Amino acid sequence: MDMNEKPKVEEKVEEKVENAQPVEENKPELPDTTEGKLVEVLLEKAPYAEGEVIRKRRVKFTVPAERIHEFLELASEKFEMLMQISVVDWLKEGQFEVNYQLWSLSESVHAFVKTRIPRDDAKLPTVMDIWPVAETYEREAHEFFGIIFEGNPRLGPFILEPREYEKHPLRKDFNTLSYAKTIYGEDFDRFDESKTNYVI
Amino acid sequence: MQNGDVIHYELKEFQVFEPLFRWARKKSLWIVAFCTGCGGIEMPPLANARYDFERFGIMINPSPRMGDLFLITGYVTPKTLKRIIITYEMMQDPKYILAHGSCPINGGVYWDSYNVVKQLDKYIPIDVAIAGCMPRAEAVMDGITTIMKKIENGEADGWKRYRENYEWYRKNQDELFGEGWREKDARRWLAWI
Repeated sequence: MDMNEKPKVEEKVEEKVENAQPVEENKPELPDTTEGKLVEVLLEKAPYAEGEVIRKRRVKFTVPAERIHEFLELASEKFEMLMQISVVDWLKEGQFEVNYQLWSLSESVHAFVKTRIPRDDAKLPTVMDIWPVAETYEREAHEFFGIIFEGNPRLGPFILEPREYEKHPLRKDFNTLSYAKTIYGEDFDRFDESKTNYVI
Repeated sequence: MQNGDVIHYELKEFQVFEPLFRWARKKSLWIVAFCTGCGGIEMPPLANARYDFERFGIMINPSPRMGDLFLITGYVTPKTLKRIIITYEMMQDPKYILAHGSCPINGGVYWDSYNVVKQLDKYIPIDVAIAGCMPRAEAVMDGITTIMKKIENGEADGWKRYRENYEWYRKNQDELFGEGWREKDARRWLAWI
């Protein structure tokens, strides 16, 4: 098997309906709670974002990628702490979803700030100037997914071996099995395709 | 050295006392305190009141220079394997390896993972491997008893196999890490290499 062989992706064919009537946007009203007020205040300052309350102590924002830094700077007034930057790979849509998880120390609210960027040529501005701790998370996201955070001075090989760093192993089109076969050899039973010696 | 030559590491004048030495070795297994992977969590119950391995002369020891028994507790990544090999080579002969769980045998649940070594026996010699995931303290105790019996019978000869087949082990290690990995990586942690 070829190491760089990519799994097939079914392409979605969407029929475009012409003369579609504009659907009236029914935005759900924000509840009259601490979380609801928090989202409301933030959305007033940043009308380009969308926000909702998921449940108690959990809110969610969706921001376009161009204005993510601006939004996070605003959000950092209320959400003082950056807990994590995590990435989801949406292979069929050809996008990475980057989640900034924020924690508000004063209000005890956990916020997800989601943004989407294209998979190829994935670039985002760094948020190290807002939270210096972002350096580590950005290095990790860069290593496992290949996202470039512009302005982060320490992007490069971090946790992985050099040969894995080139491949970005947490991307969905990284073929783990054939990579393992190439690196560790095929001389053991677990890789028996006929399942005669299948162990697990 | 030519093929077929067997190296005798036991001094000839002491061969009479060899059974005594083996008995003594089995009674004082010092463990290198380098728990690699999830099996390290089985060590506290082993050391505590219920199993209390110190009554068998087993002790956890921070220095590889004084260690006899090396526990490979669970999965091994290439990054850990480099450290394991260096630590193993720092230990004095005779030295024994006890591998916990199915991961060192064939990769375990991580068998298709990109960074878990599938067959540990290709890179360093294992004396006793315990199957299953995760072996409970009883199973580890059983493995230690087995290795004690093997030491007494002279069957625990991993350290001899490592010396005699060093080129084969070295070849496998170089295939995985690339040539010159010792010079590249080990120099960072061991200044004298």
